[in-house]
Amino acid sequence: MDLNYTPEDVAFRKQVRTWLEQNLPKEIRNLEERRAWHRKLYDAGYLGMGWPKAYGGGGARPMEQAIVADEMAKANAPAPTNSLGLGIVGPTIVVHGTDAQKTRYLRKILSAEELWCQLYSEPNAGSDLAALKTSAVDAGDHFVVNGQKIWTSGGAIADWGLLLARTDTKVAKHKGISCFLMNMRQPGVDVRPLKQITGSSEFCEVFMTNARVEKSDQMGKLGEGWAIAQTTLGYERGGRALARITNYSSQFTRLVEAARRLRRHGRPLIEDPVVRQKLGRIWSEIEVERYQALRTLTLLERGEHPGAAGSLTKLSYSEFEKRFMELALEILGPYGQLTQGAPDDFKLQIDTAVGDNGSWAYAYLWSRAGTIYAGSSEIQKNVIGERILGLPKETRADRVGGKA
Amino acid sequence: MNFSFSDDQVLLKNSVRSALDEQCKPAHVRAMFDDARGYGEALWSEMAKLGWLGLPFPEEQGGAGLGLVELGLVLEEMGRAAYPGPFFATVVLGGLGISLGGNAAQKDKWLSAISAGKARATAALLEEHLDWDSASTTATAEKSGGRWTLSGLKRFVPWAHVADIVLVPARAPEGLSLFLVDPKSVGVTLSPMVGIDLTNRWSEMRLDKVSVDPDAILGQPGSAGALLDSLLRRAAVMSSAEMLGAARRCLDMSVEYVKVREQFGQPVGSFQAIRHRCAEMLLEAENAHAAVYYAAWALTAGAEDAAVAASICKAYVSDAARKVCGDAIQVHGGIGFTWEYDLHLYMKRAKALEPLFGDAQFHRELIVRHVTSAR
Repeated sequence: MDLNYTPEDVAFRKQVRTWLEQNLPKEIRNLEERRAWHRKLYDAGYLGMGWPKAYGGGGARPMEQAIVADEMAKANAPAPTNSLGLGIVGPTIVVHGTDAQKTRYLRKILSAEELWCQLYSEPNAGSDLAALKTSAVDAGDHFVVNGQKIWTSGGAIADWGLLLARTDTKVAKHKGISCFLMNMRQPGVDVRPLKQITGSSEFCEVFMTNARVEKSDQMGKLGEGWAIAQTTLGYERGGRALARITNYSSQFTRLVEAARRLRRHGRPLIEDPVVRQKLGRIWSEIEVERYQALRTLTLLERGEHPGAAGSLTKLSYSEFEKRFMELALEILGPYGQLTQGAPDDFKLQIDTAVGDNGSWAYAYLWSRAGTIYAGSSEIQKNVIGERILGLPKETRADRVGGKA
Repeated sequence: MNFSFSDDQVLLKNSVRSALDEQCKPAHVRAMFDDARGYGEALWSEMAKLGWLGLPFPEEQGGAGLGLVELGLVLEEMGRAAYPGPFFATVVLGGLGISLGGNAAQKDKWLSAISAGKARATAALLEEHLDWDSASTTATAEKSGGRWTLSGLKRFVPWAHVADIVLVPARAPEGLSLFLVDPKSVGVTLSPMVGIDLTNRWSEMRLDKVSVDPDAILGQPGSAGALLDSLLRRAAVMSSAEMLGAARRCLDMSVEYVKVREQFGQPVGSFQAIRHRCAEMLLEAENAHAAVYYAAWALTAGAEDAAVAASICKAYVSDAARKVCGDAIQVHGGIGFTWEYDLHLYMKRAKALEPLFGDAQFHRELIVRHVTSAR
């Protein structure tokens, strides 16, 4: 056990920091500027770092990826675009795609020439994703897709989507699902922004009416879609492990600054023992998240995959973020709810999860999403219970009588 | 950067586990409830032979020269087994105290004896007001005729009734100092304080003009503050390792039980209400593990954040262990509330350690002092 960074990692961190100092854009005003920033990052070797070199990646170690993301968080650097392409779609194509698919799609993901989204959830298939109903019917030389997807992150700007659709209604629900790469820029695909409680629209609804998917864009065999989706859900590579903590730490610093300025019963909040206890608890949790990130990175560096333990990580930080943001808004009072007109002392001024220079109010509302998306906390606990602790599965209505 | 145990550390953990599985079964733990001394001499000698008693001490004093990560591994296993005996008191409170503050002669004498299983030690860190801040010490040390005379009241002194030496903080004219006191000295009165955790023994220690040799002081008179802070951090982290072990045992027993206990025609572990609670228990145990071994490493390596890491560890693990052990009783249902079922051995072990060496609130205040001064 040695929790010091190696001299190589320290030197690499310094190199990244210097590059960011010299190249950080002042402001990003639109998608084209974000794409340009993305390409600059890629050209410097800081994107797709963990992808195989053969497909334009950097073949870097998990720790190097984590350091780049961490330094970007420290510099409050704008996020690149195409996060789903880089994080999920690309790695899925690397594992499950044909050579033709790899050649056609991977480099354009890295260069952000083509932006990707993930077409998984449906209005009636959330936690029970395998209940999805969108159909893909074989029409000879192509598939015809009909149905509706929801919670499609980045759908409004996506050129392509990784689609799960039902190709067989006669088999058990998990076995009738197939995986496709679908062109989003076609008449049969209608994308509508979904306005969230944040007032913004990071997510979309996607309606598919006789949309076309080429035969060459089927990934894996028919009926393998569920298995492929299981692997993509497991692509937590620890890349954001350290950056997440750095963001928490910056937010915490801002919160302490605010607690110095705000007063209650005539004295600064920071001197109130109750507030101090709560801040102490949150700082402990931030640090424990950091220690856990180091554990995860240790595993990844050894080439091991955390597997179901990824559910512990996700459960831990997403539930923590809610507690953190609840305390932030408790300390900040109505200042914490401002979306406009916040005095500088009570602004967050830190890049949020989705890359906007957000407010406390936005970060607070957004923290409610973390325990729902990518497997709700309840689903994570089921996974932990069944796959780590080996507890028996519950009796499920859709499995009673051997129907499914 | 490597946050995992080495092969040697895994080997150590496994050998402690198998030795305690063999020699510290629940029947042994229960047998010691009614034992006058409260621990078994046979197991104590075995621990000396296995090198556990000298684990963190230098090889010159018969020790193994290992760090707090290794000692933490041993203590986690002791918490897991609810080992009854003065190991923690002797090795952590007494031994590390002497190791941190003692001169060469004191180390030679006491650390060698401890490593060989020939001496037991402890420290009297708490007075009646229960303030873990050593600056609050009210016991006094006066100098007369070249000797020290100590007076005061100490409470919750672990295993003082079997100790050969007790580290006693007292206020000398020069300031806070730390003395080595033989509990059999004239003027020392020990009275048992019996808590819910019967694997542990506390004494009230009354010192009434106890005469102490001039050389029975650790470090210089008036210089004990930093030493006691340092010792408190180590005790906080090492007691957290014990709590972690106790919590793990409670979690393991719970998981095994809910797999086989049936109600409504199915194992209760298939119900989400139970399964989700078990998942939360595992999360707390894993986070506690990270907090314990990070802090143990940081203290050993002298890392910049060692002091705050120790406080984070004690604050986090105190809360986590309480939750895990409490939830364990809940998922067991009625049987978990019976004396004959072993669960309460581990639950009480963790509970007894929760307020010691600073509870979560005490350490959270230290954490906030640290983070608000560093920013």
